[in-house]
Amino acid sequence: MQALQVRWMRKMSAVTSPSEPAAGAELSVSSSVGPAAVTAQSWRQQVHGHAAISFARRDGADRLTHLSHHDPLRVLFPAPARGDIPLAALVNSSGGMVAGDRLDIAFSVGAGARGMALGAAAEKIYRSPAAACEIAVTLEAGAGAWLEWVPQETILFEGARFRRCNRVKLAADARMLAGEMLIFGRAAHGEDLTRGAVEDRWELYRENRLVWADILRMEGDLTRPLHGRAGLAGARAIATLIYAGPDAADMLTVVRDLLPQSDDDFHVAASVVNGVLVLRWLGFAPERLRVAYGAFWGALRARLARLPAALPRLWYI
Amino acid sequence: MTQASDAALYRLMSWLSPSFPVGAFTYSHGIEYAVEGGLLNDRDALVDWVGDLLRFGSGRNDAILFNAGWFAAAAGDAAALDEVVDWAAALRPTAELALENTAQGEAFLRAVRAAWPHPLLEAFAGRITDRAASPAYPVVVAVTAACHAVPPGPALSAYLHGFVANLISAAVRLVPLGQTDGQIALAALARPVSEAAQAAAASTLADLGGAAAMAEFCSAAHETQYTRLFRS
Repeated sequence: MQALQVRWMRKMSAVTSPSEPAAGAELSVSSSVGPAAVTAQSWRQQVHGHAAISFARRDGADRLTHLSHHDPLRVLFPAPARGDIPLAALVNSSGGMVAGDRLDIAFSVGAGARGMALGAAAEKIYRSPAAACEIAVTLEAGAGAWLEWVPQETILFEGARFRRCNRVKLAADARMLAGEMLIFGRAAHGEDLTRGAVEDRWELYRENRLVWADILRMEGDLTRPLHGRAGLAGARAIATLIYAGPDAADMLTVVRDLLPQSDDDFHVAASVVNGVLVLRWLGFAPERLRVAYGAFWGALRARLARLPAALPRLWYI
Repeated sequence: MTQASDAALYRLMSWLSPSFPVGAFTYSHGIEYAVEGGLLNDRDALVDWVGDLLRFGSGRNDAILFNAGWFAAAAGDAAALDEVVDWAAALRPTAELALENTAQGEAFLRAVRAAWPHPLLEAFAGRITDRAASPAYPVVVAVTAACHAVPPGPALSAYLHGFVANLISAAVRLVPLGQTDGQIALAALARPVSEAAQAAAASTLADLGGAAAMAEFCSAAHETQYTRLFRS
């Protein structure tokens, strides 16, 4: 899998500008490589990357209207599949995160527009002695918009300290399909996560009112939460998939019909809380979880928005 | 014992008694599915399961919300209390856990306003209605305790005791376990309860969160369980 990631990085770095720029006057693009802080304790420069991407409806089409990014984050725009919506792919060219690294990502889809953002590769969170790595994501969807935030897996190495907040701001009738996937330790290396810190938050605001939140939190000795019966119960991966939209509650039956059967490799169940459809996946075999998760996502977007029943090619590589 | 602590004890025993009409016995908190799925089949598993909820699950979050709610109410800080109410309403993993929390909160508020009225409690109930907010069970009990000058430490211990005792009672019926096994489990959970209460006393809303993913999965899966005795 790592070899595949390297291949992707090489392939993607060849293209670092939007493949389909919008009408010139409306598009603002900025990119910068600024000074990075060097702390006395670390030999490595701390990273503070950011990316801001906006799609909006202009002249009857969904277009990129704002783009800015700061190394090591880059944004690519692979051509969408036929009949699919504009896609932004985020690349973290630093190859992983360690102590004190920070990424700020803002993705917005304006009123009536459709857009999708996707990580270009799995994010690796290395062991950190003290300071946590932080990812702050803001997702914003305007009236009648369709926004998809597709995760690549985030892999926590032994001793990783990781904090992520996904803050979602939705207009009353905006629709959003979003998720995250966390892997506990490098399964291929037989690594068991025993120490570290994780705080992984979702905060969902509709018309500026907090309607739903979810916070995965564990710190210190992770054996108990990762193996406890009521905890992760030995799961090596966990994933969340959220659908927010005016029809979310009505879609519960549809979603249950599309869901794969839980088995020894992964468990999944759906529920609707405060008008938000929430699916929680526990993966005992992370690679099977990923395949099932991707297949379900494809089927769901087809059913909800009549979009192609597949994720972008990038997701499958 | 002082007169004040006698009064506090009497109140807590009334409010958190199984006979207080919140319908606690109709909720299993996902345990019904855990039993059906073979995840919880004896006394030790029950102690592990409920202990996990106290250490890093809904018990922990309830305790943090309780503590924040008590202090906001005692300080008369309406904005802070609104925030506690909103977080309690938002931080809900599944529909049935939300139902369990809200329905008991509503029932508790109704009964306590009738039997133990207090002007501050009326103000709180009015604000919940005005803001179309959802009264979470731990927050309503915390506010009630603060209104009636019941100190936060004993109040939270009593609340968590009620939480634990109710889950044990569900498991005793579902597994099934003997009544004595239920009491042994309750005794074994005294320490996790005390630790959760102590941790919550030093917490803020920024500490909310947990890792009880299997319990949450069981609660969601319970929604489609074929034969069900419990509402959650």
